[in-house]
Amino acid sequence: MQFLAPLFFVALAGLAIPVLLHLTQREKKQIIRFPSLMFVRRIPYQSVRRRKIQHWLLLLVRVTALALIIFAFARPFIRQADLPIVPGAGARELVVLLDTSYSMGFGDRWESARAAAQDQIKRMGGSDRGSVVLFSSGADIAVRASMDRSPLAAAVAAAKPGSGATRYAPALKVAGGILAESTLPRREVVLISDFQRTGWRGEEGIRLPKGTVVTPVPVTGSQDRVNASVPAVSLARSTFSDQERVTVTAVVTNRADQPVSGTTLTLDVNGIKHGSKPVKLEPGGSSSVEFEPVLVGGRNMKATVTLSPDALAADNTFNFIISPTEPVHVTVVDRGSGGGGLYLARALAVGDAPRFEVVTKQLEALGDDDLRRSAAIVLNDVVVQPSQARRLQRYVEQGGGLFVAAGQRASWPQEVDILPGSIENPVDRTRGDAARVGALEYAHPVFEPFRAPRSGNFSTVPVYQYRKVTPAKDAQVLAKFDGVAPAVIERRVGSGRVLLWASALDTTWSDLPTRGVFVPFIHQSLRHLAGYAVPRPWLTVGQVLDASTAAVKQDAAQRVVLTPSGKRVPLQDEGSEVMELTEQGFYELRARDKDVVVVAANVDPAEGDLSMMDPKEIALAATGTGDSAGAQGGGTPLTPEAQERSQRLWWYLLIAGLLLLGADTLMSNRLAKT
Amino acid sequence: MATEIHAIPGARFMDPAVLARIGNLELVSRAVVDGFINGLHKTPYFGASVDFAEHRGYVPGDDIRRMDWKLWARTDRYYIKEYEAESNMNFSVLLDASKSMDYGSKGITKLDYARILTACLTNLVHHQRDRVGFVAFDTEVIEHVPPSAKHMETVLHVLDRLKAGRPGNLKEPLHKLAEHFGRRGVLVLISDLYDDPDAIVDAVQPLRFRGNDIIVFHVLDPTELEFGFSDAQPFEDLESGEQMPVVPDAFRDEYRSLVKAHIDALTQAFSAVRVDYTLLDTSKPLDFALFRYLSARSKMMKSRF
Repeated sequence: MQFLAPLFFVALAGLAIPVLLHLTQREKKQIIRFPSLMFVRRIPYQSVRRRKIQHWLLLLVRVTALALIIFAFARPFIRQADLPIVPGAGARELVVLLDTSYSMGFGDRWESARAAAQDQIKRMGGSDRGSVVLFSSGADIAVRASMDRSPLAAAVAAAKPGSGATRYAPALKVAGGILAESTLPRREVVLISDFQRTGWRGEEGIRLPKGTVVTPVPVTGSQDRVNASVPAVSLARSTFSDQERVTVTAVVTNRADQPVSGTTLTLDVNGIKHGSKPVKLEPGGSSSVEFEPVLVGGRNMKATVTLSPDALAADNTFNFIISPTEPVHVTVVDRGSGGGGLYLARALAVGDAPRFEVVTKQLEALGDDDLRRSAAIVLNDVVVQPSQARRLQRYVEQGGGLFVAAGQRASWPQEVDILPGSIENPVDRTRGDAARVGALEYAHPVFEPFRAPRSGNFSTVPVYQYRKVTPAKDAQVLAKFDGVAPAVIERRVGSGRVLLWASALDTTWSDLPTRGVFVPFIHQSLRHLAGYAVPRPWLTVGQVLDASTAAVKQDAAQRVVLTPSGKRVPLQDEGSEVMELTEQGFYELRARDKDVVVVAANVDPAEGDLSMMDPKEIALAATGTGDSAGAQGGGTPLTPEAQERSQRLWWYLLIAGLLLLGADTLMSNRLAKT
Repeated sequence: MATEIHAIPGARFMDPAVLARIGNLELVSRAVVDGFINGLHKTPYFGASVDFAEHRGYVPGDDIRRMDWKLWARTDRYYIKEYEAESNMNFSVLLDASKSMDYGSKGITKLDYARILTACLTNLVHHQRDRVGFVAFDTEVIEHVPPSAKHMETVLHVLDRLKAGRPGNLKEPLHKLAEHFGRRGVLVLISDLYDDPDAIVDAVQPLRFRGNDIIVFHVLDPTELEFGFSDAQPFEDLESGEQMPVVPDAFRDEYRSLVKAHIDALTQAFSAVRVDYTLLDTSKPLDFALFRYLSARSKMMKSRF
């Protein structure tokens, strides 16, 4: 027997306190010093006579009641491993684990598996209990601990292979949980699967309760069938006549031991066939197939590469999204002509991953539309009035990014506290050694590209003048002049960020604009400030759709996800901003008055590898013995909380303790009258 | 001259615990002994003094200077004139200063009682112009004041700073002291005599063989005699430090009988070797001890004649 809260036993010591006091209160330990003990013979020490306890029964009842209550609070439970097991006799707790990964759709495997499961259910005895667990990358209990065979059979009949990959560990854990709560003397797990090697990582720490019999039922079917798959595609973007085009190259793999020929690979875009190529593959070989460029006509174009059907159809399709590259909208605020924005404009004009769409304005002309449209604003050495600063503060707090270049003229009103530091007097380093930028925070996204050797050296850039900056308390200094004075400082304000470069962005104060690090520095800074993330053309089943990062930024209650099978799932039903992808196809995240976000989901290509493992390996790991069918021993390390919850011994102990306290009251009243 | 004791009412009847609180041993001893006159006892020896004792016939070898020529002139016979000798004897107190003596349940320890008794005896003897000496011992001699008519102050001073510190043993120090007391005298041994009776007598015998008169004062606390404890408590031996649990109620009678047997054995053993033995209870006045001493001297004198 074990206890969930053994610290409560400290209270047992409290029971002993009155007894100990009684026993020790008359003890005297004062030593008498006597001239000589020559005449004192040694005799056994006899303590003084104790006070007699008159009502032993009452004391016993009282102490037992309190002890039972303390035991109840300690939450006792009997370890499943300690429960007696009678193999081969008595009722049986049967758990049928049925693999529903997409590889089970290979050939006639699914039919064999379903038949094997139905057979196991039919063989259940009258007092047996059965459960059906459908598993792939996760495990779902279809029917739990039922003595009626019909719902079990119905659950098996209704099951079908999904899009998930095989993972044995979650299924065995679920089975262990069911068996741990069982009080039947015999326990058996029937694992019906194709036993793919990719589904078992070996050391998963799974232990079924002691005495559990693991019966693997491999359903391999015919292995010598064609199984080609499309594990990935690559997208190459190009621009021709101001039109963005994407060239799709698909990878085709043949996992079978026989060649693939006469197969066709087709690219569909928005449901329209774009191209088709014949594919010929050697046994175990792969090749890439390039299609004609696809003209990017709009956002969220659903593209699918499909291979001719074979024995395993799920991995013959590969879905992805083609969207035009989204530019990062940047507004550069400078002093107009001669404002020194040449180098900045040139830097932002290059690059297409992402492309920067730049609007240059003077601060007075900066309108609300500009703020709404801009993902980042660059203040290039300008004087900012308090009213303008407050507008920029609101912009940043709502998620915008602000880049401040502090040159000769830059100023910022003190009352608007969003800058990473207060801009103070210029520091002139034209005489003597120029300042150098160092102490870079390479862990920060702005400087992360410069981390590797020979990927840009800021310390060779001379800075002749810079503005002294006293950093704010919550600002982070990302780079320093000569390792002392702050050069690049960042501060989070609301949902946005402010980045301060303590010098000019032209060549009047430094040589930075003419150096190679300038363009990547500006690009990284503005990408970071704009919160730019490279869009992913597809996800894999089992991954999650993170609505918080999706373009649709609205309340979760207003968003609905349309699954590939046509189900509408309100996002709040998922309880969070994320939703697990369980189907192959296109998910659509819809919100009121907003554009639709489309996510492509593909099956895990590793599941297409049908190479099989020895089922004994799983039985060995789960039961601790090498014997597969009929394996004995071992035990799933069910949490003590789960075991205690299933037994609820504390409840009986508490009732017994309270009953004894009632009896104690009756007895003491009766004794008081006599 | 008959022995006459003049019991002077006064401090010598006081409770020893009260005397112990006075602290000044000289004052205490004077107060107690005051009233005892010079020459209360006769010397057991004949010698040269002014007090005529008797005539006896001349025998060859007698000192002709002691011949009574006037009587020869009258009787034409030779007579030797003999005189009573004054005491001039050596008197020493052998005080057991072992750790067990540092015990008292009635406000005075056995050692304090013994110190006062020693001071009183010394004062008394000093009044009689005798030489006083003092020895304190435990397992060895720790203080030694040789007998002298001028050592009264020294003895009191030594007594005043005497403290019990170590376990005691009678045999070794007393055997060693026997070599120092070559001249005959009176030795008073004051101890609680926690040893086997035969061993105690063996320790005292060498002193006796030197011709000394020995008086033994066996000093015990009333609690040691009565064992008046009630609660079961651990007891610790003052000398050995040994501890043992004791239930006095169950043990008192047996303890008393053992102590009584010990005292009886000592009485018998000392009597056999002609040593005067007196049991002193520290709750009783010193007067009792002084009278015991003087009566013992009186008996001694009578036995001489």
